[in-house]
Amino acid sequence: MLRPEEMTRSVVVGSIDSLGVTIECLYELGVLHLIDFTAQDEEFRIGQPLREASDASQKLLKLRSMIRSLDIEKHKPVDKVPVRVIKRRIEQALVTLDLNVSSKADARQKIQTLIREKEGDIRALEPLVNLGIPVENYEGYDNIAPFIGLCKRDPSKAISSKIQESETLNEVRKGDVVVAVFVRSEDRAEAVRILSEHDFQEIKLPKLQGNPADLVGRLRGEIKDLEDDLKRVENDINSIRKQFADFIISSEEDLAIEVLMAETPLRIATSANSFVIDGWIPTSRVHEIQTALDTLCCGLAFVETIPPEEHDEPPVELKNPKAVKPFEFFMNLVSTPKYDEIDPTLILFITFPLFFGFMVGDLGFGVGLALLGAVIRFKFKEYPDAVKLGSIILAGGILASIFGLFVFAEAFGVPFHPPEANPDEYSWAAAVNIPIHPMLEKMHDIKEMLAISFVAGWLHLSLGFVFGFVNNVHHSKKHAIAKVAWFLLLLGLFEEMMFFVGEATATSGFMNSTVFAAFPDASFSFSGIEVSIAAVVLMVTGAVVLPLTEGPLVLTEIVGIFTNLVSYARLAALAIGKGGMAFAFNTMLLPLIFDSGNIAIAALAAVGLVITQLFFVFFLGSLSAGIQAIRLNYVEFFIKFFEGGGTDFSPLRYERKYSVANK
Amino acid sequence: MDLGTGLALVGAGIAVGVAGLGTGVAQGQVGAAAVGATAEDPKMFGKGLILMVLPETIVIFGFVVAILLWISK
Repeated sequence: MLRPEEMTRSVVVGSIDSLGVTIECLYELGVLHLIDFTAQDEEFRIGQPLREASDASQKLLKLRSMIRSLDIEKHKPVDKVPVRVIKRRIEQALVTLDLNVSSKADARQKIQTLIREKEGDIRALEPLVNLGIPVENYEGYDNIAPFIGLCKRDPSKAISSKIQESETLNEVRKGDVVVAVFVRSEDRAEAVRILSEHDFQEIKLPKLQGNPADLVGRLRGEIKDLEDDLKRVENDINSIRKQFADFIISSEEDLAIEVLMAETPLRIATSANSFVIDGWIPTSRVHEIQTALDTLCCGLAFVETIPPEEHDEPPVELKNPKAVKPFEFFMNLVSTPKYDEIDPTLILFITFPLFFGFMVGDLGFGVGLALLGAVIRFKFKEYPDAVKLGSIILAGGILASIFGLFVFAEAFGVPFHPPEANPDEYSWAAAVNIPIHPMLEKMHDIKEMLAISFVAGWLHLSLGFVFGFVNNVHHSKKHAIAKVAWFLLLLGLFEEMMFFVGEATATSGFMNSTVFAAFPDASFSFSGIEVSIAAVVLMVTGAVVLPLTEGPLVLTEIVGIFTNLVSYARLAALAIGKGGMAFAFNTMLLPLIFDSGNIAIAALAAVGLVITQLFFVFFLGSLSAGIQAIRLNYVEFFIKFFEGGGTDFSPLRYERKYSVANK
Repeated sequence: MDLGTGLALVGAGIAVGVAGLGTGVAQGQVGAAAVGATAEDPKMFGKGLILMVLPETIVIFGFVVAILLWISK
């Protein structure tokens, strides 16, 4: 929590004879994040791939070509194939399959090409069917230039008026005009000009002889025969696919793993008799590697931890409890924290559902969202991102239900009881008496909602500055002090806000009597605004310290802190906006449903209500609440401390989905 | 309702409306660029989202001004 998994720089060294076993062992354990070896010298060079690499790569190439030919890239084998079965059968299977698949795939491709060519010929010949001239007579003259093609408009008049000796055949066909124009060779340029004015598109005639109508008939017959052949070949391919798809996919996976391991020496240092694998291991798992190497390599390889160098950047594996893990999704969208930075996932876990719940704040929509989240979470288990997103929506939905039930006392935009200010408003009281009254009425306690938003903003931003201080305190005292100055500035600003509002809202009253109780009450009046002297002292202290630590230009950013705080008004704005939208639809449509006295109108209004509530309030409302809740974290909160740019921990490891390793 | 209150309410409406327009114009341009960047590299989604939602603060200012006008009417 808040800190990533602790990493230890380690080297695995051993005799070159045990390299293969060591690599296999490291992949099995999946705990070593390899640092690629690049600095070659006379002693140590980049290693050579293991002996089996070349053979396995060739087999893999063949299998992948088969997978493409058989079109089984997306096939998921039903049963996992044991690795020993793959190893026993692969040689024989490759010979048989290679012969069958490649010959069938070639045949299929040739037939498809032939069919495409013949279809092209038919397309070229069809417009000429009614002109009645054999194909060979269109071309092949010494002194005559032929033009055969399609025009948007009939060019025959223009041609006969501009060119003395010409012959034009034409026929209107599907909005185009088919033309065959014959002119003397010397008139070619003029003909080209006239035809281009009529949007002429040339038809490229096939090298065939005979009447176009007969040729089209013959070609159609040939295509039919070819299609029959294609079907036979496809059937053969289908039967191969059915019989071997599982085996091919499982073998491809196994060989890919074999190649991955066999090529790993290209990333490590080897000498004539030894190897050195440099990398990072989670501190808690160093002993696992040692035990495994002792067992498998019989003392020929061992692991040693070394102190990290000053500029080392260990890889980052976020370490969070199971409930918090899904919120790492939001971190993945931005950037991995650096190793020595605070990981803010835990804060996302707390603030996102709270902000979201406050903005949605409705029992009906909250339960709906929680159900939606649960469906995504448990029905799409094969997609890790869907599981995370589902959990996030589920958490947001639960908080929205809690806010809706206890704070705002409303469901589907309809309050449990009519508000005091408007006793005629539709409420659930007409149907069921829920003994919960709202602590806040979205549409009426706007000042209170804003005050709560600002308190949330102050706490959130202050936490950001605290994190900023912690992140900087070891590297740069100056930046750490700047964070304290920002913290004081924010505290002063917020104290002044609460002081100014005074007892006008219960929230500010509470803050003034608790958090700010110890602050002196002294104040002065400035342009009609009561200014707290304590707030001024805090803000001036911050504003004086800031330029000393971050340079004078930082003074231009001071207004930004006010912007940041006001930005949290969106919590209230979204809640009120969503409440207002639901209220508007309910006010328009509920009277039609209950008071119109006409079943048809009532039914139509009910459908309208469901659609508007679903689309505008549930879908758009939840979407914008989600975006705003994460935005407050990404923009206002993260900018106070987060740099990101850490390297993800990606250890040597493989995943077997369709094959089972030997014990 | 007197004229002053009416004008304050009109002002509140203008504050939200025009601020919303400003946000829309800014967000449209940032959004187009963000979608382009995300199409090139899906990892840019998070950064694109951050940049895209930045102008939303403008409309929040409009909202706050509107509320201040409405409260003081």
